[in-house]
Amino acid sequence: MGANGNGHKKGEFSITQDAQAMLAKAERDQVETVWDRFQAQQPSCGFCETGLSCRICAMGPCRIDPFGEGPQKGVCGADADIIVARNFARMIAAGAASHSDHGRDLVETLTAVAEGKAEGYGIADPDKLRALAAEWGVEVEGKDELALAGALAYAMEEDYGMRKKALQYVTRAPAKRQEIWEGLGITPRGIDRETSEMMHRTHMGVDNNWVTILLQGLRNSLADGWGGSMIATDVSDVLFGTPQPHASQANLGVLKEDHVNIAVHGHNPVVSGTVLQSVEKEEMVAAAREAGAAGINLVGLCCTGNELLMRAGVPQAGNHLMTELILVTGALDMMIVDYQCIMPSLGEVAGCYHTRMISTSDKAQFPRFDHREFHPETAQGTADQLVRDAIEAFKNRNPDKVNIPVEPMDQITGFSIEAILGALGGTPEPLLDAIKDGTIRGAVGVVGCNNPKIKHDYAHVTLMKRLIENDILVVDTGCAAVASAKAGFKNAAAKEWAGPGLSKICDAVGIPPVLHLGSCVDNVRILTLLSALANALGVDISDLPVAGSAPEWYSEKAVAIGAYFVASGVTTHLGPMPPVAGSMNVVGLLTQGLEEHVGATFAVEPDPEKAAVILMQHIEAKRAALGLNSREVPEALKAEAAPAPAAPVA
Amino acid sequence: MKQVIVHPERCVGCMQCMTACATAHSTAKTLIGALLEEPRPAPRIHVGAGLEDEGFPNRCRHCDPAPCQLGCLPGAIYRAKGSNTVMVDYDLCINCASCAMACPYGVIRFAQDPKAPPGKTVAVKCDNCVDRQAQGKVPACVETCFVNALTFEEPTAAMKRRTSEVAASISLDMAAQRVPLSATWDLQTEMKRRQKALDQR
Repeated sequence: MGANGNGHKKGEFSITQDAQAMLAKAERDQVETVWDRFQAQQPSCGFCETGLSCRICAMGPCRIDPFGEGPQKGVCGADADIIVARNFARMIAAGAASHSDHGRDLVETLTAVAEGKAEGYGIADPDKLRALAAEWGVEVEGKDELALAGALAYAMEEDYGMRKKALQYVTRAPAKRQEIWEGLGITPRGIDRETSEMMHRTHMGVDNNWVTILLQGLRNSLADGWGGSMIATDVSDVLFGTPQPHASQANLGVLKEDHVNIAVHGHNPVVSGTVLQSVEKEEMVAAAREAGAAGINLVGLCCTGNELLMRAGVPQAGNHLMTELILVTGALDMMIVDYQCIMPSLGEVAGCYHTRMISTSDKAQFPRFDHREFHPETAQGTADQLVRDAIEAFKNRNPDKVNIPVEPMDQITGFSIEAILGALGGTPEPLLDAIKDGTIRGAVGVVGCNNPKIKHDYAHVTLMKRLIENDILVVDTGCAAVASAKAGFKNAAAKEWAGPGLSKICDAVGIPPVLHLGSCVDNVRILTLLSALANALGVDISDLPVAGSAPEWYSEKAVAIGAYFVASGVTTHLGPMPPVAGSMNVVGLLTQGLEEHVGATFAVEPDPEKAAVILMQHIEAKRAALGLNSREVPEALKAEAAPAPAAPVA
Repeated sequence: MKQVIVHPERCVGCMQCMTACATAHSTAKTLIGALLEEPRPAPRIHVGAGLEDEGFPNRCRHCDPAPCQLGCLPGAIYRAKGSNTVMVDYDLCINCASCAMACPYGVIRFAQDPKAPPGKTVAVKCDNCVDRQAQGKVPACVETCFVNALTFEEPTAAMKRRTSEVAASISLDMAAQRVPLSATWDLQTEMKRRQKALDQR
């Protein structure tokens, strides 16, 4: 029996060596993982898969028969189009709410810093603070750094409300794009307002035009991309530093057998950044040595891992589907989580080992975790105590259960837009020239999650390999970024994977063919970069030879990101099918109809080999439309076995 | 005589037939009430996952001759008079599982049941909802199935309909393409098929 394909062995659930080794150990240790639970859920409900079930009100729940014989309307009278549109729009609302609430926590921290109430936090990038203050129209004259931070935070708080006709960051988009949004009536006004209105409109008896429901979905997503997420990224840069290129490493091999190993998991640097300061304190290192360890080793998981990796080069242990498996190493002494994408199963897995599990956010608790709430006023003390507890936990580690399966893979990370422009000599011209003459065909942002429906990391790695070998520059974030780092696409040797043109640029600029732009809120760095490129060329974002892709997405946040990419003019590929097949009208609008309105659509293709062709054809078509040289893309790229994980660099 | 007929190509895998079946075999006859009962009522129909993780509702075929009946030494399994339903006498059942070993479809399970002596585990299987039928209702699994993957009808009517479908598919398309059941379900099935194809590499 196998989930995810009958007769599959557990080792085949992932293409990565560390996951395969830990899946085998999990079976020996009788640990249940996400793949076991996925199997137990099969077959999944077809009403839910197609978006045809509705639980919005208590006259229901309702479902529509996709075969046309059973009920075709819910109790309220909503048909398949309305039900599917409402469900999809609510996914966007949940995703936008998650990113934006994350951003809110950062704005609150910035306020606390300004008021002198946040020990352990400060202004790490005063230049960016001043630049943002100017952008936000904050009076700079006569204000010191802290006063400026307070005024900026106040201005950002206004964007969460209802005082404005448009969010501040909308002005970062090319003028043509802003006109499109105005024309469609989807310019985002308030970050929370759009989510709130989305929930209102999908309440029974409000908006029952599936087109306008979806348009509000796009506006809601724009309030995330050009609002909550963008604030999250920019304020994180101010508080913790704007990323610059760093050498680091990835995969479970970053754990050290002779060290106290602490992992941070979740999304917000407010917690993980403080933990980083604590583990670096001399007294902590001394305490670890006293306990028999060689030192303290902090590693990251998922997006809070990406935040630390981007800014401080903290090694990245793994992405979403690795978060149970890192516990199976038996070498992790403590996992500290904040929120988002933290599987509620983790506490139970940790129960098989000695790992201390810590939750830190007042809004996110988990079974079998110790809850140690972080607040800006007391964060440093809380973090110090946690590190001491991790050292205690190290003493309970059972050496017989420890298995660190691989050597770490080297990677270079930290490519904020500021860093990319720096590498290019302060201007996007060299990149534009390379795109214009065809040395680089275009660029794709490969982003998003893992999903047990897809062999772990297979789609990320296969797609990125195909793109870079065909001279398409890849920028990545989130779980996709971990997959590519583990595959070796981000180290000094990685240009070997790239086609001749891209390889030449890698040499000239000194960058890998896949650039790490950060966590999932950092997808907005892509929006900012594309706006700069479009403005430099005097065109709209939708004219650029670029695309987006979420080959292994699973979360509502990914739907919000996909929607703001598309609404911003970036055609976006999704691997797994979103729950919209129940309405051919909704499918048609998302995959075709949006083109004439926003200049971009969604494309769904589970197979990354075929997705690579779709994305390349899209890029070549955009090149042709811009009058740049363009070439035929064969329907099937050279047939080759799926890429094996690259040999680790010792 | 009307029978429950399974149309596997229509099953969307929602498993609502399982909860409806368990509820129908509870004392309370309501879902919430059934969840509070001890012993918890057991479903007699089981939805499994096929090669492409598509749903398949697996239930007793009420075979004739029935291997379970032939294998039951205490004589607990019998065919109800005047119907084709294979039933279990919970007083005679000794929980030996011979019937389950003999059953080619794996649809006999062992559980406590409100109708069995308290504390006694017995063989439980589909009884075609005899109680509901006595009240003029259709079997619970059929009633709850919104997509008509389970129907309650004369087998001859179902076969005639199937014959018509096959005939129509041939006359509509000489290449013998089947008639699309539903654009939604064809798209969903196609996407799942592509997803699964990746696993087979």
